[in-house]
This record gives sequence, structure tokens and C-alpha cells, in this order.
Amino acid sequence: MVALLQNLNQFLTAIAGFLTPVALFHVFWSTLLGIVIGALPGLTATMGVALVTTLTYKLPPDLAILILICVYNGAIYGGSRSAILLNIPGTPANAATTLDGNPLARAGLAGKAMGIATSGSVLGSLIGMFFLATVAPVLGSYALKFQSFEFFWLAIFGIVISGHLTALADPMKGWMAGFLGLLVAMVGQEGIHAYERFSYGTTELLGGFALIPAMVGAFGFAEVLTVMRDPAAEVVQEARDSIIPKLGEVFRYWRTIIRSGLIGTIIGIIPGVGEDIAAWVSYAAARRKSPEREKFGKGSVEGLMAAETGNNACVPGAIIPALTLAIPGSAPAAVLLAAMFIHGVRPGPMIMIESPAFVYQVVAMVFFSTLGMLIFGLTLTKPLLWVLAVPRTRLMPVVFVLCAIGSYAITQRTFDIWVMIGFGIFGFVLREMKYPMAPLVLGIILGDILDKNLRRGLVLSDGDLTPFFTRPICLVLWLVTLSSILVTIEPVRLALRRGVQAILPSRFRAGE
Amino acid sequence: MPAVAKADFLTGIVLIFLSIFILFESWRMPRLEHLKVHPLSVPGLVPAFLGTVIFIFAVILVVRSIRAAGHHVGVSRESLRHVLSQPGNQRLLLTAIISIGYAGFLIGSIPYWLATGLFVFVFVAVFEWRRGLTRREYVRLGLAAGILAVVTSAVVTWAFQAVFLVTLP
Repeated sequence: MVALLQNLNQFLTAIAGFLTPVALFHVFWSTLLGIVIGALPGLTATMGVALVTTLTYKLPPDLAILILICVYNGAIYGGSRSAILLNIPGTPANAATTLDGNPLARAGLAGKAMGIATSGSVLGSLIGMFFLATVAPVLGSYALKFQSFEFFWLAIFGIVISGHLTALADPMKGWMAGFLGLLVAMVGQEGIHAYERFSYGTTELLGGFALIPAMVGAFGFAEVLTVMRDPAAEVVQEARDSIIPKLGEVFRYWRTIIRSGLIGTIIGIIPGVGEDIAAWVSYAAARRKSPEREKFGKGSVEGLMAAETGNNACVPGAIIPALTLAIPGSAPAAVLLAAMFIHGVRPGPMIMIESPAFVYQVVAMVFFSTLGMLIFGLTLTKPLLWVLAVPRTRLMPVVFVLCAIGSYAITQRTFDIWVMIGFGIFGFVLREMKYPMAPLVLGIILGDILDKNLRRGLVLSDGDLTPFFTRPICLVLWLVTLSSILVTIEPVRLALRRGVQAILPSRFRAGE
Repeated sequence: MPAVAKADFLTGIVLIFLSIFILFESWRMPRLEHLKVHPLSVPGLVPAFLGTVIFIFAVILVVRSIRAAGHHVGVSRESLRHVLSQPGNQRLLLTAIISIGYAGFLIGSIPYWLATGLFVFVFVAVFEWRRGLTRREYVRLGLAAGILAVVTSAVVTWAFQAVFLVTLP
């Protein structure tokens, strides 16, 4: 109880710290920009956070991170607008939103759909924020027990789970993307003996590939190419009914809201999985539990609520491991993590000792972004429709100009523009061949952690592999990792199913 | 499915070569014996581990794609012409050429504001142009592309130079 009150006190102090005209001005424009970025098909939250990072170098760290969190949260919400009005998810996180959002709009209830999406996103974000405030400090203290052995397995666990969950149809491609990301991170000076790997005397590659230009390429340039290749979106549904949701209609689904909020937060905590999976899992869980499941896919308010609550709850959830373990829960959180490092904030297990106030500042930032989302969500209808009507042929060149100058601006090297182009083409090709991008990003982030901790662990144990497999946290991590791989192998899956069927009492058996 | 299998086959082959290269390079990396470092902390250890994992995945990918007949790659002039005749692929190719031309070659060769203005103008003009435009529509297209080019170039140049204090290329 005392701890909870202390948490609340720290949170209120952080809130008060941001109640300045400058901070509120930044919340205003950055949340609005995030919503617009999210609403525009082809511009994702990751791209938005990466591009805006390049605009925040000169700002103090707290304001820069505030802006990025507002863009991140706003973009995940903003994507619901195009999902509802165009039947095109503004970001991958809003794919599940199209299933019920667009049928509602087609039935003349676009305003109601947008109101429900706003309520779901705001409540999801608040649920995630609550867990960010309560779980992050606990996880932070627990993470202090982690040694090299645990960090090695955490990196492998992140890649395998992220690869599996983001490429359910073909998990091997997810794992390959993750390991390619780890390989990309091997370029440049390594962190133990300062040996230059794979740089071949190029001074530009001494520090490895800079993360922001790589992300701007993989999510910005690749998106520009995809948007220009795909047919243009045309149908825009207009909202003639009220966008203000009825409270009774929202809270009628309180069970779905809490369940989706929890699912979204938990999926956010799992490294590199992200908002799209959170929305799909929340949607599937809501459908399974709903008494109105026949309405799902045909304009179900509950389905729309579940998807939008789940994806926004995932945002604070994804920030939890980024803050406490320096391992991002999603692709936009990976860029956010990189931005924190650029601004001199050192996320990781020491954060609760070195700068505990920062954790609560982040909670306050999520709070302000949620407030911004609520205000803009309930007031902006027409202007967002105009934004959606901007043709791609006029939007994409502006986006690409920002990709180029944003990549250059970090270190003012034209080499980084080439990094952006290279990663853009690489990302586009990988996506075309159904390789997910989230494990790739996670791999680039985790490469250094894996490299240092595997070697350190081996030195500490003098080459003995036993601690890697017998320490309690390691044991859990490698068992889950191995199980995740084994269940994708057909004979193993069939054997497991037969085993479970044999153990279960007859009334629970499938088909009986 | 065959198209995916073909792509998987080619990717698998490329990755096999890449992983062999990584393994070779990892082996060549110094062991730093003269510094008396622990043999298991050598710089090539982790790249070799990653190279091995990618090699295994790549072999599985190749075997899997061969089972799905993906090794019959068969690139003909006809199939290439078919791919290039698709409007989506034409737009993709044009976007790539214009964008890489701007970011990779134009930036740094001429003043930034000019390169950016030219890029935006050409991008809009190329993609909004269509056969049979009337004189009035030409003027309207030129004006729209021109205004967007001037505004984008001016705002981005000003913001990065004056606000973010970046020395533009």
C-alpha cells in the first residue's frame, strides 16, 4: 500500500512537471501529428517515431521522449480512422479494426465506430499505463538479478518468440529475419575488445549501421515504395452520425475492455511482438467469449472495441521491457529505445536505481498522449477526412524528402542517406517475401546484448555451458524458446496433441 | 505458391553463400592471443554462431522450396516483360529511380533546396501526368507540382537549417 502511494506520488509529481505551456504545446502538436501519420495509409507508427526522432535532437530529453510517445500512441490510434473510413488499416496495428469498423461505417454508423474506437484506444492506453506504472518498477528490480547468462537467453527468446508470433504462417521466416537483424548488428566495433568487424577499413562503418537511418529506410522508404506500387484507395465513408460515444454503450463491454487491455499489455511486454498481434489476439479472445459472436466481422461494436483497446494497451506494455531491460516490446518501441540512448537516457536494469523518476515521467507522458488522443479523437472528424483525401502522389514525395534529410541530420553524413536507401530496398524485398520486419528490428537492437553477454557468460563460466541451462531464469527462457520452435514442427505438434488427448478426461477430448 | 517457392529458393541460395562468407570471415578474425584474452571472448565467436544458424535456416529453406518445385526458376524475357507491364510494378520502378536519383545522387551535387524542389516537382508531375490532358489541366498540374515543390523545399530547408541547426548537404 505504501509502495502504491509512493508510486502515485511520483506519478503526480511527473504530471505536474509537464504542466507547462511548452510541454503542453508539444503534446498538442505531436499527438495530432501522430494521429495524422497513423491515419494515412502507408505511414506507420514506427516510421512516424523514426522520422520525428530526427526532429528532436536539439530538445531536452524529457520533451523529446514526450513528443515521441505522443506520436507513437497517437499513430496507433489514428490508424483506426482509415480502417473505419477506407477499410484500409492506417498502421498494421489497425488491421483487426477494419473487420467491424468498416461494416459499421458502411451501415451509416461511421461516427459511432470512430467514437467506439476512440473510447477503446483511450481505455486501452489507460490500462496499459496502469501496468507500466506498477509492473515496470517491479520488473526493474527483478532485472537486477539478470546476469550475462540470462541476457543471452533473453535476446534469443525475444528473437524466437517475436519471429514466431509475427509470422504465424511460416515462423522460420520470422526467425530468419531476427537472425539477419542480429547479423546486421555485428557490423562495426565490438564492445569487448574494440575489434572492427565487417567494416573493411570504412570509417563510416566503425560504429556499425546507425539505427535511425536503418529504421527510416526499412519503414519509411519501403513504405513509400509499397504505397506507390499498390492501387490507390478511393472510397471514403463520411460520418453523419455523432462521434461522441454513449457511456452506457462503452461500459456495457467492460469485461471486453479489461480483457483486451490485459492481453494488449502482456503482448506488449513480450519482446518484439507489437500492436498488430495485440489487436488480433484481443479480437479473437473477445469473439470467443462474446454472446454476440455471430455479429463479429459484420459490424460488432464489441469486436471493434476489443481490437482498439488491445492495440493501444500494447503501447505502454511495449515500453515496459524497453525501459527496464533495454529490450523493446514492439518495432516503434525499438526506435523509441534508440531515441532514448541518443538523448542520453540509459534504459535497462539500472534505471530504477539511476533514474527512477524517469520511469514515472514516461507514465505521465503516456497519460498526456492519451488525453490528447481523447480530445482530438472526439473533435477532429472533418479535418482528418481532408487529410485522408490527400493523394499519395503528393504525400509520398514529401515523406521521402523527410526520410532523406532525417537520416542525414543525425550525424550529417551522406553515408547515412545510403544506409536509409539500402535498408529501404532490403526491407521492401523482405516484406514482399513475407518476412516480418519486427524481428529484424529487434535483432538489430539485441545484437550488441547477445554478443557481449554470450562471450562474457562463457568467460565467467570458463567455457562451462551449465549455467546457461541451469540457472532458474535461464531454464524458463530456454524451455519456452525450445517449445516455441518445437511446436512448429508437424510431427512434434501431432505427438503433443495425441499426448494431451490421452491425458485429458474423455469429456474434454476433441470431437467427443 | 510457386512464385513464393522460387523466391525462397533464390533467397536460400543467397543466404547459404552469405553464411559461408560470415563463417569464413569469423574464422579469419584475430584470436588476440598476444593480449592473453580468454579464447571464448574472441570477436569472431558470435558472428560464427549467427552464420551457423543462418546457414541451417537457409538449407531448410532451399530444401523446402525444392520440394515445392521452386528450383525451376525459369526467368524468360517474356516473364520479365509481363512483370514490367504491370502498372503497379511500373510505378514501383519509377518511384525507386526518382527517389534514389534524388537521395543518392542529386543531394550533395547541387544545392539542397534545389534538389528537393526538383525532386518533388518531378515526382508529382510524373505520377499525375496522363495521356490526353487538356491545356488547362497541364497548367493546373504544373501549378500544383510547383507550389508543393516550393513549399516543401522552403519549409524543410528552413526547418533543418535554422531550427535544427543542420549543415545541409
